[in-house]
Amino acid sequence: MPDTHAQQASAHDLELVALAAAGGRAAFGELVRRHGSGVRGLLRRMGADPALADDLAQDAFLTAFEQIGEFRGEGAFQAWVKRIAARLYVKRWRRQMRADLLAAVAEADDPVGPGETGAVARIDLDEALRALSPAERMCVSLCYGAGLSHGETAAALNTPLGTVKSHVKRGLDKLRNRLAPGREFGAPEQEAHG
Amino acid sequence: MADRSFEMTLERLFAGSPTFVDSELFAARVADRMNRGWGFRQFLISGLGMLGGLIGGAQVLGSGLASRLDAVTTLSRHAIASRLADLTDAHVLPAGLLLNGDIVWMAGALAVAAIVLALTRAIRDI
Repeated sequence: MPDTHAQQASAHDLELVALAAAGGRAAFGELVRRHGSGVRGLLRRMGADPALADDLAQDAFLTAFEQIGEFRGEGAFQAWVKRIAARLYVKRWRRQMRADLLAAVAEADDPVGPGETGAVARIDLDEALRALSPAERMCVSLCYGAGLSHGETAAALNTPLGTVKSHVKRGLDKLRNRLAPGREFGAPEQEAHG
Repeated sequence: MADRSFEMTLERLFAGSPTFVDSELFAARVADRMNRGWGFRQFLISGLGMLGGLIGGAQVLGSGLASRLDAVTTLSRHAIASRLADLTDAHVLPAGLLLNGDIVWMAGALAVAAIVLALTRAIRDI
């Protein structure tokens, strides 16, 4: 069992999860170091401002520590925490927005015009997501960033499944246009400032 | 087919995490909040334990249990002393051994304390 900092740094996530489940705070700290950026990044991509994203990411990790016994290792640890974080953000988002905003925003907001397609040589995902309406951004992020199914997304947002599917489709269309079809999609590591 | 390919690309893009320059600070903040929560929990448990102990103590004193206990211990001390004398007479215990009711009670209390200590350590190691 890894017990020193160096050993923990090289340990597999599942080993660290087992240690954390036994109360190992240092092991959980290593998991936070490894996956903190991924969770914070997802929340920002969902539309949270940096301060809120960091607060919710912290909440998500604290919840994960409390519920670590429920993590069975069927998927990646980061994906599990991302789902917790995404649900926390959805709760906050639903509180702030009216329940019917999804439908209203979808009709009113379409910031990407056809003339913009291909006008920008290189746009990364974060920039492309800004072109989506809040509802589209939320649905696309939940489905492709947090790994929720359309049904789970609909349940989380308390929105009809058809509405979610329509937001996802519109969002994907906009992203496809922004990310330029046919180009090699890489995922360059980018440095963001907290 | 093209749609699925784009969806896979999108999943890959989402999985590519940005590197935040303050990731160590973020981890430290999470650790702080975990410790704060733990400290508060320990404080709460200790406080409630102390309160329970005080209430229990007050109930015990109020019920006159102490005087009844004293009577019981006096009786038991006599019974133990008599039993020890029997054992000494029967040469089960050596004649010079200094044993009386008080020592037996004290040994019992020490044994209970040792068991509690061992259990505490075992629970912490699990």
